Amino acid sequence: MTQRTYVGRSADAVDGLDKIRGQAKFVGDYQLPHMLHAKVLRSPVPHARIVHLDVTPALAVPGVVAAITSEDFVDHGLWGWPVKDQYILAYRKVLYVGHGIAAVAAETPEAARAGVEAIQFELEDLPAVFDPQAALAPDAPQVPLESPTGQGNLCEKIIVRYGEPDPILQESPVLYQETFHTGRQEHAYLEPEAALAIPQPDGSVTIHYNGQSPFINQNHMTQVLGLPAEKVRIIQPVVGGSFGGKDDLGYQTSGQVAGLALKAGRPVKLVLGREESMMASYKREPMTIGFRLGADAEGNLQAAKVEMLADSGCFSSQSTLAMLRASLHAAGAYRYRAVHVDTQAVYTNNGFCGAFRGFGNTDAAAAIEQAIDDLAHRLGRDPLDFRLQNCVRQGDRFMSGNVVDHEVKLAECLQWVREKSDWDRKRTAFEASPSDDVRRGIGVACYMHGSSLGGEGADYANATLQIENDYGITLTSGLTDYGQGSRTVFTLIAAETLGVSPERIHMLRPDTDTAIESGPTVASRSTMLGGNATRVAAEKLDRLLRYAAAGILACAPAQVARHGEVYVNPDEDEASFKEVVDRAREMGLTLSVQGKWSMPHIEWHVETGTGTPYYCYTFGAQVAEIEVDTRIGQVRVLKVWAAHDGGTIVFPQGAYGQMYGGIAQGLGYGLLEEMTYQHGYPQALNYDEYLIPTSLDVPDIEATYIETEFPEGPYGAKNLAEPVLVATAPAIANAVFHATGVRHYTLPLTLERVLLGHDLRSNRGETACRRALGFEPAGVEVIWQT
Amino acid sequence: MKIAFTLNGNPVEVEAPANITLLHLLREHLGLTGSKPGCEVGECGACSIILDGRVVNSCQLLVPQVDGREVITIEGIGDAGGGPSDLQLAFLEFGAVQCGYCTPGMVVAAEAFLARQPNPTREEIRVAISGNLCRCTGYQQIVDAIEATATRRQSQAEGRRP
Repeated sequence: MTQRTYVGRSADAVDGLDKIRGQAKFVGDYQLPHMLHAKVLRSPVPHARIVHLDVTPALAVPGVVAAITSEDFVDHGLWGWPVKDQYILAYRKVLYVGHGIAAVAAETPEAARAGVEAIQFELEDLPAVFDPQAALAPDAPQVPLESPTGQGNLCEKIIVRYGEPDPILQESPVLYQETFHTGRQEHAYLEPEAALAIPQPDGSVTIHYNGQSPFINQNHMTQVLGLPAEKVRIIQPVVGGSFGGKDDLGYQTSGQVAGLALKAGRPVKLVLGREESMMASYKREPMTIGFRLGADAEGNLQAAKVEMLADSGCFSSQSTLAMLRASLHAAGAYRYRAVHVDTQAVYTNNGFCGAFRGFGNTDAAAAIEQAIDDLAHRLGRDPLDFRLQNCVRQGDRFMSGNVVDHEVKLAECLQWVREKSDWDRKRTAFEASPSDDVRRGIGVACYMHGSSLGGEGADYANATLQIENDYGITLTSGLTDYGQGSRTVFTLIAAETLGVSPERIHMLRPDTDTAIESGPTVASRSTMLGGNATRVAAEKLDRLLRYAAAGILACAPAQVARHGEVYVNPDEDEASFKEVVDRAREMGLTLSVQGKWSMPHIEWHVETGTGTPYYCYTFGAQVAEIEVDTRIGQVRVLKVWAAHDGGTIVFPQGAYGQMYGGIAQGLGYGLLEEMTYQHGYPQALNYDEYLIPTSLDVPDIEATYIETEFPEGPYGAKNLAEPVLVATAPAIANAVFHATGVRHYTLPLTLERVLLGHDLRSNRGETACRRALGFEPAGVEVIWQT
Repeated sequence: MKIAFTLNGNPVEVEAPANITLLHLLREHLGLTGSKPGCEVGECGACSIILDGRVVNSCQLLVPQVDGREVITIEGIGDAGGGPSDLQLAFLEFGAVQCGYCTPGMVVAAEAFLARQPNPTREEIRVAISGNLCRCTGYQQIVDAIEATATRRQSQAEGRRP
């Protein structure tokens, strides 16, 4: 194996020092002279017509400087991608509890709050719809102003068509049919949404927003503000976690502060409180997933039919694309002769749903991995053996019909977790005492995950490198680091390629004025796309430097060798990095380069549900060992073993951090976390009600990366951030089944579900949400019509 | 009202309203933004500070409650020369930092804990940081960093003994 100096070696995160010292500045920490504070009036009801809205009384409140509504934006602030169905502030209707209606900027947060309370508005309640199945009825109240499909609340329909499963299912001696439910998960990033807009004298605006994709934000802002791209600058600050969650609400928030700042002519900052964030922000789509799986008498899977229904809430957001990914992973990482998938995403008045780490595959894998386990059980087979028998290998076809043409180490991942977890012994041992109150169980799940955007969109990234006067090297990327460590990954790749110390490289945060557009920072695509763009740029710069070195060392460029930062010719004469840079400048070379890398072209045909959806995939497996206290229904996870095939690992501490963090989020998804809605009101508003795993809930994890050959990746790297999460919840659910013999078909496996088999309904609703939105105590002029 | 207390080893006297939290005082009045608001209901620990040796959520303290007491924030943690502490460096070494929003509170909680229990088990470390939520790391590398620091400090202390 090639010896590498920086890639794959221990490294400190490039922004770590600021963070450990509390010196990293998040948007909420920014203070500027003359800065105003913003506050948003949000809807206290799930669905209503805006009969009357007047912000002028707010302007009479001392300290209030500006107030805006949808009227302050081009086309009422309509935006959205891929479906244009959102407004910067509600237009004509409010669609969910927490929906922004108007915004105020004032000298102090208190004055902004008083300004919001002074806004006069009248909402006329409309019939609302909260059940996704009921939302599809022809007479259901329509949520969006205009239906994107022309079919009421149907937001999107997605198909996958590989072969003809019906005749195969009819002939299959083994037929499995069950329906699974997954929960609505809150991202729960520790830092809530925050934005700062600074108006400039030339009429332009600079926006600092803690999101994921500054160039996409810029596109939306140019539309709603009616400004050319060069007059909207987005600067990426430090981001306190996102996990897919800070995009759409962030564009609303960015538009609100920008609108206020341009109107007030002063900087405006908006920081959401936790209750406001949990109410207003989008979640992971809850899904109902029904399977018909057929197998032959030997337990070989033959065909699958999958039907999925997702609650997208009141906006399409990224649900349509997440459901495409869910559909393309619905039958799992197994070999079939035919698969059909039919998926519908539906509008309701339950908040809204969109991107969340795993992007549809988290839900899909949770369901299929429980179904496969269930099927193995009914066949009397060990679930790990059953997976090994059926999992895809190179040369097979994926469930979407495309050929598996890269190396697959899924079986190796399954074998690794089997050995490390002592699977075979524990499967038998734990079954020995089924009548104990506290029972142990061990369960497995595995996955595939299509890499990067695939059929979701154009897939490329850019990077630039420039040698500065002090011989430092500035690196930019259009992709952002919101905690996942990509700045460190890009720095290590540039250092490796150029042969310079990582300390010499200074990686900037993205800024639409200095970085080059690179598509969205989503889909675990940074290492592969941004890493390759960095490598391409570094190779260009390296060629220039070698050319200059050849001049000093009096040899051909091809004869120049590099030992760290020293260039050497065949006679062992040496030239330092600085000497080489000086010579390059004397030669008139431009030491500033751009690198671009695009994924090889693939085509997925949404109309026919056929084609190749992803250029490549990653794979992995996890085992969870759990303990169930059957007296109280409590599940404790004792240990997780995880193996992921991620190609070359560039930044090991970061990669393992992704794995452990992904497993913790998967544990929450499997056991604790569900944002439920009652009549459109979210049932949890803060961390005291929406429980995410603590250090006591997450066990020690034993993990490995099984390296596969992937020549197209930067130094062979593939992706890992999302897939490492998707196996945890089903592995835990399968372990609970192993321990108790009861399959719940619903996630998360909360205490009451495990104990009683059903939920205990709480009655949190209008009052709590209204109070958190500032509607009580009285003093707010609201004219109610019921 | 006038409040006098010790902040990161220095006496401070500030004029502040009585109805604001210590977190607000630190961030908005004293310019110390290392303590983070995450929930403001005392659940997430991102605003953790050390009050007379005990870890406290600064969002749950009203300003008059700190009068005459000793407060240490993330800005007051480091080595004698003003650099990061060995624990802070261990956070880097073990990859215990991702987004960094929980990190100041986590470091504060861990330093206070190690001062009280210099030789902890992993389980004790997990209990000690259970009031500090982290959504990125799954806690494992944080526990690793605290455990390694405890071990290193122990062996240094033993090395110093005659």
